[in-house]
Amino acid sequence: MDLYLQFGYGMMDHCRVLLSSWGGGTAILSPRDLTDEQLRRLGADIAGIAGGESLLDPQFYLPHSDHKKLCKHGYWPNDYDTTMFWQGPPLAALLRHLGKLNRDVGCKRMILPGLFAAAVDEDWLETQGAVLEESRATEVELPLIATIALSAEAIKNTEQVSLLLERAEEWKADAYYLVCEHPDGQYLVEDPNWLANVLDIAAGLRFDGAEVILGYCTHQMLLAASAKVNAVASGTWMNVRSFPPTKFVTAYEDEIKQRTTWYYCPQALSEYKIPFLDIAHRLGILGLMAPPANLDGGYVAHLLSGVQPSTVGFTEQAAFRHYLHALRAQTRAIDQTTFDTAMASHQNSLDTAERLLQRLRGSNVSGQLRDFNQIVDVNRAALGLFASLRGPILKRMWNSI
Amino acid sequence: MSLPDEQWLKSTFADLRDFAALGQGGQKIVYVATHKTDGKIVLKIIHPRTDVETVRREILAVQQVQSLRVPRILEYGKCSSNLGDCIWLREQLIDGPTVRELLAAGPMEAKSVLRLGLHILEALDKTEAAKIVHRDVKPENIMRDPTGAFWLLDYGIARHLELSSLTATGLPFGKMTLGYAPPEQCRNMKSDIDSRADLFALGVTLHECAVGNNGFFDPPPRDHLELLRRVERWVLPPVALPIADAANFQDLVNSLTQKSRVHRPRTIKAALAWLQEICAKEGVS
Repeated sequence: MDLYLQFGYGMMDHCRVLLSSWGGGTAILSPRDLTDEQLRRLGADIAGIAGGESLLDPQFYLPHSDHKKLCKHGYWPNDYDTTMFWQGPPLAALLRHLGKLNRDVGCKRMILPGLFAAAVDEDWLETQGAVLEESRATEVELPLIATIALSAEAIKNTEQVSLLLERAEEWKADAYYLVCEHPDGQYLVEDPNWLANVLDIAAGLRFDGAEVILGYCTHQMLLAASAKVNAVASGTWMNVRSFPPTKFVTAYEDEIKQRTTWYYCPQALSEYKIPFLDIAHRLGILGLMAPPANLDGGYVAHLLSGVQPSTVGFTEQAAFRHYLHALRAQTRAIDQTTFDTAMASHQNSLDTAERLLQRLRGSNVSGQLRDFNQIVDVNRAALGLFASLRGPILKRMWNSI
Repeated sequence: MSLPDEQWLKSTFADLRDFAALGQGGQKIVYVATHKTDGKIVLKIIHPRTDVETVRREILAVQQVQSLRVPRILEYGKCSSNLGDCIWLREQLIDGPTVRELLAAGPMEAKSVLRLGLHILEALDKTEAAKIVHRDVKPENIMRDPTGAFWLLDYGIARHLELSSLTATGLPFGKMTLGYAPPEQCRNMKSDIDSRADLFALGVTLHECAVGNNGFFDPPPRDHLELLRRVERWVLPPVALPIADAANFQDLVNSLTQKSRVHRPRTIKAALAWLQEICAKEGVS
């Protein structure tokens, strides 16, 4: 499994630096955060990095949006008519515009627009099919990635999940960009049913022979390797690590204004505010929180150098780069040789995290809302359910999907 | 439907002799008889009340499936009886017990369970290729001949996927045998019925053959609605067939009996390949 960068506010330099340091990689660019000109410039920069690839998320989830940055893009329709738009000329025009923009940015594959599904119903399914059909007819000259954007309620509903998978068998897309709204706005999802259903959808799409890119992820989605997901995408701020549809309607700057810096402890699958690192430092257990060498990109050496963490000026920039570097290393460390090894890899990381979290919590070092302590069992339950639904067939088909 | 007298049988079916009544249901009377060239055969006389199109579809299904695991229809026609005009079928005789009869003695031995699965999947593979869903796989519709081979019977409610449905769309329940049919068939979700419905029913049948009883009936359900709820909600308990590859067989049965068809093997062929691997290790063919 690979990690793609999910572009968000202020990520231009992160993309350049991280992709360069990794010797390549993929960034999913965000029109919400970049003008046409910035998209072209960043796309060119990424294309200049050996192994660098850009994808463009058209963010057409809620076309009624009056998000001013989105509406400024040339591809965004001036006049959106709900009923007529998806039947022919307006859709074809959108796809042509997007095709050109994708080529200008240097994308080698094109993410198709996809409506946000509050519920998976016939209307939405028809629209999905129409986008694929029209995009094939429009000849955008790029391999296509279909978007599936789902509400938390749709994902939790097993009948809707089954309906989606039934119909997706007919779409025959080469790849899917799957974006899933977290329930109740949670950063780390506490509902194992939601999590298992995301895995179920991903696995079902993989069985259709399609590649699956899971967008807007936190490290909690490392378990997606068990569904043989090809890539998870993550970014800097919370609003690119989860999929809040509202951010595509109005500006979503509150979190950015708050500017809390978090340190990601990858072996604990948890993030910590710096004052809690001070506590760990004073209790002599900060060393336990240092990233293992294989997950360490060198961004946190000064933070964990032995002096009081809050005094070293640990920056937001370093925090983000460390998070993304460690997460990429974690995605790549998962042994996806077989279904069983992929499951065992995640189970082992949960076990490791649980042991460390017990130790840290024993010393009152907490990640608060980003602490994985309560989430370990959520991921275990989701994996258990997923294994009972898909495990036997995944074991057999692993090497052919 | 009352039994015709022997004189009528002899005069109507001049090629046949030695009639012996085998059974009688609401829709047909079944005889074993001897044909002058085909030897022992089964003669079915269909009640005049039975929908002609339903019978025609059954004949068409068997002819199109062309499986060596499905008894052939050797000849069919119409005759006049005291009840009215009837359709009759002359079929290949399978001389042996049904699996339901075998189960009266308890669970079947492991190799028999595997052979049953293999042979019925072979029949269903041909059925799927003909774009037909059997829709009534169950122990009553499977027979074992003296060589130990299994046969799939009764395409009476088979669904021809390329022909219009004969079942009313608005009905809450579809044609089925409750306790074997999958949830989508029970609920008459016609567009969701494909060969994976047969995989579910075969999975339940294999489970029953391995453990000796149908888990959905244990304990006995209060009524058919409770049984339906069990089919929709219960997970059959793990089955431990005493074979080297027991875990793989358990995985197969678990996959076949998934509530949602998206979680079952996608095709009969995929399930057949899976079971063939298990059978090869056990020397079962």
